[in-house]
Amino acid sequence: MRLAGAELLETREILPGQWLQTYRAPELIAGARAGQFVHVRAGDYSGLVLRRPFSINTMDPRAGTLTIHFRVVGRGTAWFTFLRPGDRIEMLGPLGRPFEVDPRSRHLLLVAGGLGIAGVRSLADEAIRDGRQVTLLFGAATARDVYPSSLLPDEVEYLVATDDGSVGHHGFVTELVPDYEAWADQAFACGPLPMLRVLAGQAATRGRRLGVASLGRKRGGGRPPPGSPQARRKAFLQVSMEQNMGCAVGACLGCVVKPVSGAPVRVCREGPVFASDELDWQGGW
Amino acid sequence: MKPKRRVVTSGAPAQPARRRPTVRRIKPAIAPLQRRDGPTGGQLPAASRATTAGAAPASELPPASESGPIRETDLSVDLGRGLVLRNPVLVASGTFGYGIEYGDVVDVQRLGAICCKGTTLKPRIGNQPPRVTETPGGMLNSIGLQNPGVDAVVEKYAATWAGWEVPVIVNVAGESIADYVEVVRRLEGVPGVAGIELNISCPNVGKGGLQFAIDAEAAGAVTAAVRRATDLPLLVKLSPNVADVRPIARAIEDAGADALTAINTLSGIAVAPTRDRPLLGNVFGGLSGPAIKPIALRVVYEVAQTVGIPIVGIGGITELADVLDFLAVGAVAVQVGTAIFADPTLPVRLIDDLAGECRRRGLDSHRSLVGTALPKRATASSARGVEYRP
Repeated sequence: MRLAGAELLETREILPGQWLQTYRAPELIAGARAGQFVHVRAGDYSGLVLRRPFSINTMDPRAGTLTIHFRVVGRGTAWFTFLRPGDRIEMLGPLGRPFEVDPRSRHLLLVAGGLGIAGVRSLADEAIRDGRQVTLLFGAATARDVYPSSLLPDEVEYLVATDDGSVGHHGFVTELVPDYEAWADQAFACGPLPMLRVLAGQAATRGRRLGVASLGRKRGGGRPPPGSPQARRKAFLQVSMEQNMGCAVGACLGCVVKPVSGAPVRVCREGPVFASDELDWQGGW
Repeated sequence: MKPKRRVVTSGAPAQPARRRPTVRRIKPAIAPLQRRDGPTGGQLPAASRATTAGAAPASELPPASESGPIRETDLSVDLGRGLVLRNPVLVASGTFGYGIEYGDVVDVQRLGAICCKGTTLKPRIGNQPPRVTETPGGMLNSIGLQNPGVDAVVEKYAATWAGWEVPVIVNVAGESIADYVEVVRRLEGVPGVAGIELNISCPNVGKGGLQFAIDAEAAGAVTAAVRRATDLPLLVKLSPNVADVRPIARAIEDAGADALTAINTLSGIAVAPTRDRPLLGNVFGGLSGPAIKPIALRVVYEVAQTVGIPIVGIGGITELADVLDFLAVGAVAVQVGTAIFADPTLPVRLIDDLAGECRRRGLDSHRSLVGTALPKRATASSARGVEYRP
């Protein structure tokens, strides 16, 4: 975790109301991994007292650049669109824990709902660099919100679902998942809570439905403790969670989600990536 | 109940001469004169007042041990019972976790003190999310005192704190007086715990939150009970969610508190963008940030004229000017809270800025900036000719 300046190199509106910005921040992304995020300070402190968390959408360690992808939802995000190339802002990062890819996984299934693409986008790059096959299932409300395939690596198999059927599958993106459940070794998702909840349900019954054999206990000890990188690596589905955030370093306890057992866990510290079986999806408190 | 000599930090060099460099309260010295009612038999009010009233010339204080730009000016401040801070910039409870979260980003050892997250007797899971949201010039939070309980806090963090130069003040919350007393008992004598900040004003929990802060009698009762249970330096955090804070502050002082913190957050609500429900999971949240600074200044201004014990001002501090404002209305120290989220390095920078300001004005100590905006001691009315007193 570092506090570093970042210089805006490029900014453009890739979809209506959605922006892609490239920043040069070499100190920040040294050692950053897919799934982590940065906490960015908007310059106008008089009104905007909180930083804004953004997933690291893509990163290029050699050039020292990273991109963020966001939708304008309020005054804070609007402020970022007023920046021009050459402007400098300040970022805190990389924060949170990354996606854990099992070294043996050949086929990765990425599921993104809307802006959730920003949460899994860098994992696509990382997986392809490591020689894995990647399928990205993308869900949006309508065709105008669909992530442009030109922004994806050529190697990614890209399927789209829209709620109104204006492009791709007519329906929810979660309906595409069963076709890939057997193919995928691991799945990674980011998006609205209802989507993640359905995916978590699918992941929980996947083993039984597909008849995946459990090969018994390994020598040398039981299961890794829940929440550990080892446990996440073993889980079929990892999700990147979103929550209103304050400090982003674990101090304020603002951004919690409820785990299956124990005290609420912080999205900024224990997350944003969780194994789907770590979390309580029923929403009770 | 003789105050024990207390070793605030184990890592710090021995400082026998400055164990109690008393706060020179220039203007607030009028405060005891304005008190109409005497101490109501509370614990130790006289002793605690003596520490603040007896003024030692700031020039007698030797410069602090380390080298560096801020060391030329004496920024130390005495909050009573031997809790002497090297500088008057603290970080507020709930915004700095247990002091370890910001890691290398902040040099925590430079801070005046750290007020840790509110700690209760039993673990608490806190309120349903969303727990925070930004509001114009501020933020609402409704964490609901999530914490692992006092025993876990002591076990996990106290050893770390004991090795620090910066004193850690544990913020204590409870649902009943017995809760508060028990938590404080368990903190008594723990190395690394430099003091207690009594949180009687959390607006985000059902039971025991505000009930102690809105009633002078209850506030006095809980303070007195805790005072009997511990010799640790005791700060009590006031709530602004009251009609008149002065009787409450007076009751707390009379019950033996060493210092007051003012203010906690203001109760507020945000509405979800869909407009079909309040935004926060707990409906109500506590408002903090620059938006509440005028209210905080007003409360400190009122309390400074009511009590003789030191006041730690808090509410919307984002720059040196804010610190100076709080000092001017009678605070001897300040806490920085919400602004840390945007700028984690702000508290440390404020220390340097304050030292620089003192140097620029040719002051030995920031203490001569305290209380300068309070009503002057001279009978102001006669000066204006409203009445004539020979």
